[in-house]
Amino acid sequence: MRRLVSPSALFKQVLMLSLAVAAIYPVYYMIETSLKTRQAWMTDQFGLPLPPTLENYAALLQDGRIPIWFMNSVIVTTASVVAATVVSTLAAYAIARLQFRGRTLLLRVLVALMVIPPAVLILPLFLGLQPLGLTNTYQGVVLIYTGMLVPFSVYMLSSFFKTLPAEIFEAARIDGASTLRILWSIVVPLSGPGFVTLIVVNAMWVWNELLIALVFLQDDKLRTLMAGLTTLRGRFAVNEPLVMAGMFLGALPILLLFLFGQRYFVRGLVAGAVK
Amino acid sequence: MYRSLARLGGLAVVSSLIVVACGGSTPTTAPTAAATPAAATAAAPSAAAPSAAAPTPASTEPVSLEFWYWAESDAPGANQWMTDTVAAYKAVKPNVTINVVPQGTDTLISAFQTAAASKSGPDIASQWATGPVLSFVWSDSVAPISDLVPAAEMSHWLNTNENTYNGKVWAMPQYLLGIGLAYNTELFAKAGVTPPTGDRWTWDEFIAASAKLKAAGITPFVGGDKNGYLGAWWFANIGGQQLNSVQELAQAVVGTVPFTDPKYTGWYTNLDNYVKAGYVNNDVMSLDLDQGVRLFGQGKGAMTFTSDGMLATAIKDLGAAKVGVMRPPKLGTGTLADAGNATQSISHFVTSWSAHPQDAADFLQFMHTPDRLTAWYKATGVVAADDRFDATLVTAPQLQTMAKAETTGPQVWLENWIPPQIDGDADLPAGQMIFSGSGTPADAGQLWERSAATWRSAHPDELANWQQLVK
Amino acid sequence: MSAMTAAIRRRRHLDVTPYLLVAPAVALIILIYAYPIVRVFIDSFLSPTAARGTSVGLANYGFVIDDPVFWKSAGNNVFLLFGVPIMTVVALVVAVILFDQIRGWRLYRTLVFTPYILAVPVIAVTFTYLYGYNGVVNEVLRAVGLDGLAQDWLGSPKLVMPSILSVIIYRELGFGVMLFLARMASIREELYEAAMIDGAGWWARLRYITVPQLRTVISFFVVIELITMLSWVFAYVYSMTGGGPAFASSVLELYIWKYAFAYRAIGIASAVAVLLLVATSVLIVVQMLVRGDESDTGEE
Repeated sequence: MRRLVSPSALFKQVLMLSLAVAAIYPVYYMIETSLKTRQAWMTDQFGLPLPPTLENYAALLQDGRIPIWFMNSVIVTTASVVAATVVSTLAAYAIARLQFRGRTLLLRVLVALMVIPPAVLILPLFLGLQPLGLTNTYQGVVLIYTGMLVPFSVYMLSSFFKTLPAEIFEAARIDGASTLRILWSIVVPLSGPGFVTLIVVNAMWVWNELLIALVFLQDDKLRTLMAGLTTLRGRFAVNEPLVMAGMFLGALPILLLFLFGQRYFVRGLVAGAVK
Repeated sequence: MYRSLARLGGLAVVSSLIVVACGGSTPTTAPTAAATPAAATAAAPSAAAPSAAAPTPASTEPVSLEFWYWAESDAPGANQWMTDTVAAYKAVKPNVTINVVPQGTDTLISAFQTAAASKSGPDIASQWATGPVLSFVWSDSVAPISDLVPAAEMSHWLNTNENTYNGKVWAMPQYLLGIGLAYNTELFAKAGVTPPTGDRWTWDEFIAASAKLKAAGITPFVGGDKNGYLGAWWFANIGGQQLNSVQELAQAVVGTVPFTDPKYTGWYTNLDNYVKAGYVNNDVMSLDLDQGVRLFGQGKGAMTFTSDGMLATAIKDLGAAKVGVMRPPKLGTGTLADAGNATQSISHFVTSWSAHPQDAADFLQFMHTPDRLTAWYKATGVVAADDRFDATLVTAPQLQTMAKAETTGPQVWLENWIPPQIDGDADLPAGQMIFSGSGTPADAGQLWERSAATWRSAHPDELANWQQLVK
Repeated sequence: MSAMTAAIRRRRHLDVTPYLLVAPAVALIILIYAYPIVRVFIDSFLSPTAARGTSVGLANYGFVIDDPVFWKSAGNNVFLLFGVPIMTVVALVVAVILFDQIRGWRLYRTLVFTPYILAVPVIAVTFTYLYGYNGVVNEVLRAVGLDGLAQDWLGSPKLVMPSILSVIIYRELGFGVMLFLARMASIREELYEAAMIDGAGWWARLRYITVPQLRTVISFFVVIELITMLSWVFAYVYSMTGGGPAFASSVLELYIWKYAFAYRAIGIASAVAVLLLVATSVLIVVQMLVRGDESDTGEE
């Protein structure tokens, strides 16, 4: 590659640099603010914390709520994603490789359901689950999330399963393998990348979801991280550095995961669309 | 190669997470009361509390209570006091564990509404008096405190009338506060403004002083209306001054008289003129109420509305010599214009679904023991709503002025006397319209009327209760 | 099961296996989608209070149509839709630049993508502070002498929606860039080589090879983002302004949530839910038309 600095290359560098700075500045600001005391922030929002302090983090960790919220998010996310994956795999396999009446219709319906806004569903779901005692429980929320993950998961997996070579299936059938056996011993092992994709996408969706978590998990002990974080600003209205520390703590786990596993994140989020 | 590694890694992570999840999944959710229908049927709310008159002694097995608590905004220092109180209570009742969850102002009502809808959540909750508390009483979410606390104890509480309905007292007061117009004596002097000789200014005097301050390069009035509460304070302190009674306000609520009548919303014109004259800080819409008051404590504005607790903080920040307080200016000619504006503000109650109502009530009473009352004042500078409170503790002259205003003559906090739906849908946004310049005073009036009409058609059951309330 | 019995079974009547396989998924769909949608339709015609039962015909719809706040909310969602072309074009430009592998492109790519993996409340609250009237953004503007441009970004009714849109774009941009970059990576090198041999310049290569190859992915991104603007912006609005000032930043999700849970007006909330459903159905049609000319939806 030539080393001459052409004007267009310079322009591109400047553009990208500005964009990158703009992209990362809010994160920088969050960290910088979280290291200030209240008074320090009131006098200077912009500059560096001198001297920096960890008192906000100490206060939050002592309060202990953030780790609880985090665990709740982990529980809810894991349960929903696992359940959705299992259920969707079964259905996707049937749609992709088996013939049955209603197959096309079912897939069309699922595709249509992907765009339904949760806001449309929350009220009737709430009124329906409440008499069953499922509001304000893990089970209720997991049920809802799983249901919402199914359309996209089935769609994605069925597209993926279709790409598997037909010969494998024919060979297996000739050998007399049952449908389930084919699914378990052949389809699943071959679909590693597809599953990774799906799990990453679904997990991120559930992890970041707010509306349902707000409505269906009321107990502070049950709250997910997202719902809990939204209460921080109201509670500590005049302690902005504390709020920023809370936000950073909330974002930290995913940030770390991302930094170390960037490749899988990217591949997961992107591969599904690039089929 | 990476693929299979990723697969293995993912599988490992997922399976370990499942193990963790299965291990610690089912939490101890507050047991939901036998499915009460969401319908709030007509007048008399059912008393969901256990035995009526003589309170049964609290249990001795381990009990866990959740308390959704709000007070910090009114009375900075409240959360710390609550932490200390819980610790003190633990010493007295080691089997009771209390988890206090401080609530945010913006979501105080909506968070509890969602809990009330599913009849699960906290054992004890805080809601603003009258309107909000009663709306929850009418949805069967509250256990009447008078059923759980002996009458002798309750007789010491002040302002219980704010939560009385159908012969029962439904919630417990903690403190009494009013709103005053705090001013910075140093900035006044700089602009040549003299404080009123009486306890308040007339509206014209207020305008004149603001003009002088502005001319001297000082922001006359500072505040924050991002979350709408500054507008609500203006309504409660200035907006009702053309009315003669809460019954008169109720006439608009129930629809006999429209809210667009000038006696209800004409004052928005005065506020609008005040804002347009440039007498309010230009970042008023960027700051929440608390952040706005903080500006005053930083010396960035000459006047602001403060509660007792906020005034105490301002005295700490600016120094007692620089802080003065007067009653809000007199704009109207109604009887309410001369009434005080003290209220318990927040009220605490036991929820109807709590599994341990007696233990909960016991803790609430503990909050009123003399030692706790004194500690409360020392922590917050706000007077306790209890006649056992030692008034000699109030030493700062500014706070004495406020306390005197709060205990002399009739007291009405007007915002308590509208349904919370109208408060959130009209009171708060109307103020925002004026402060942000996005609506005219006429728009504000129409917003009130439309919001009231919506509430009336959506909640005919509450409407009936409301009519009974203000007879 | 031996090969013979399997073959015999197949030749008989309906193989029940596929139905068993799809049963759990179908059950969930009925529970989570079908039941609520039906319920919402019914409830929208019932009395508005928490006590369901009496039919009020179209009264709830009438109320909603008469409510300026509803139209404001719907209008805000529509406004957000117009942000999609902006973010698509910007993402495309950035992706193209990065694809040329200028120096440091990997780092830039990571930095641009980072906002997308941060949670919405985190970003929203941070921007609330940044966009404050005396926050960093305005401070910088004032410092460089552009005082006139310093506004109350979130407190001014006219600016609040564009400001919220800017935060949404900030986050979604990373997703678009990643998407486009990934697809570009699989464009066959030979196409470019052939083009360069033919003397095609940078712009021509972009126009005749890159963009057409990206068409699928671009349409996918656009559809996803359009849907997002209608149905997935609750978290942004809730965390930044709560719908204020004076409803200026209300969106349909927030409107439904408020009427459903704050005001317990089930009939009204259901009516709005139905309307939102109708609006997204339009998008479903769009999506189906678009995806109709690529890999199938099941017809083999």
